Amino acid sequence: MSEHQDGHHVNYRNVYLILVVLFLVSVAGPELGIRWLTLVTAFGIAIVKANLVIQNFMHLKWEKRLMKWMLTTSLILMFLMVAGVSPDVLNHEGRNWENLAAQAAVERGVEGEGEGGEVAAEEVVAEAGFNAAQTFNLVCATCHGTSGAGDGPAGVLLDPRPASFTDPAFWETRDMDRIRAVIRDGAASVGGSSLMVAWGASFSEEEIGALADHVASFRPPE
Amino acid sequence: MAHARPIATTRSATGIPTGRLAVWWVLASEVVIFGGLLGSYLMHRLGHPEWADAAAHTQTWIGAVNTFVLLTSSFTAVLGHQAAEKGDGKTAAKYLVLTMGGAATFLIIKSYEWTNEILHGYTITANTFWSFYYTAAGLHALHVIAGAIIMGFVAFDAYRGRELHRVELIGIYWHFVDVVWIFLFPLLYIAK
Repeated sequence: MSEHQDGHHVNYRNVYLILVVLFLVSVAGPELGIRWLTLVTAFGIAIVKANLVIQNFMHLKWEKRLMKWMLTTSLILMFLMVAGVSPDVLNHEGRNWENLAAQAAVERGVEGEGEGGEVAAEEVVAEAGFNAAQTFNLVCATCHGTSGAGDGPAGVLLDPRPASFTDPAFWETRDMDRIRAVIRDGAASVGGSSLMVAWGASFSEEEIGALADHVASFRPPE
Repeated sequence: MAHARPIATTRSATGIPTGRLAVWWVLASEVVIFGGLLGSYLMHRLGHPEWADAAAHTQTWIGAVNTFVLLTSSFTAVLGHQAAEKGDGKTAAKYLVLTMGGAATFLIIKSYEWTNEILHGYTITANTFWSFYYTAAGLHALHVIAGAIIMGFVAFDAYRGRELHRVELIGIYWHFVDVVWIFLFPLLYIAK
């Protein structure tokens, strides 16, 4: 037994109870709805809790000074990294530069970055007013590809493969009524694959017409 | 033994047992790994006010329950250490098994949470907030898994009264995993 192991008398139960109380305060903090108080209870308490765990459970209190310096060095290196990089990340423009991508991301808001998958994508369309090409790229291109060639990322694994609108053979058996019917009611309604689902609930007849016109724009010239 | 050979695990120039020194070295490097990741997250979060809309979708109560689970598992880990110091390997093993139960509970809750989020379309590629969310919490979860596995070996030995000093070593690592979560909780769940 080293002197380290004999020397400390911590009441672990009390430390644990203090930790639980602090935890409850940090959860309750945001309920008051005061922003600065939330930040104090969230991060201030996190630092206090971490310190309690490190000193009492990890026994850093009784550890040799060398060990404390080792960890402090690590922390200093980390803060140096953050401090060195943060001016470039926190600001989106400086005297001689601007970060257009970051500015655009702030401008677009979170949905613009593609949040929420398919459902959110449809909401974006509804809010922005209808744009057939944009909707095609958000909703249809996943399988059919942005160039309409049936080579979208999600289409690779489908059997049968998604229809290619750039294939002349495709257009031999289709007319615009049928394209609209497939978008509205799904391909199974005309004897095609059930993988092409119905979109009639998501789009109005005008929007379906615009989408069908966009699909026809991929048709190769004869 | 005719010659007393130097044994690495008992030799120490610093006066700190080698195993414990090694664990602290691991943690010193972990500070930079997690610190760098969380620091980057914080910088981006402050530079992108629109992330607040994405962060609003994390489920605070799940994060809170998991915080409580990890705090409690830290408590059982330190009780295991206390028992090991008294030479009571069986009790130490019992507390380590309880700690592993905490790890399992944490991971089950996490899988439920992630399944729910992924089914709602909040995947790692949804936007940069969710990329950070899954990377930070995922790296932390890997540490929970690794710690629980190592703890199994330590508990197995401790139950037979062997290598009792390792109970403290795995404990120090486990408390660190708890400390990381103590910071992840406000960063990902509370500050919205």
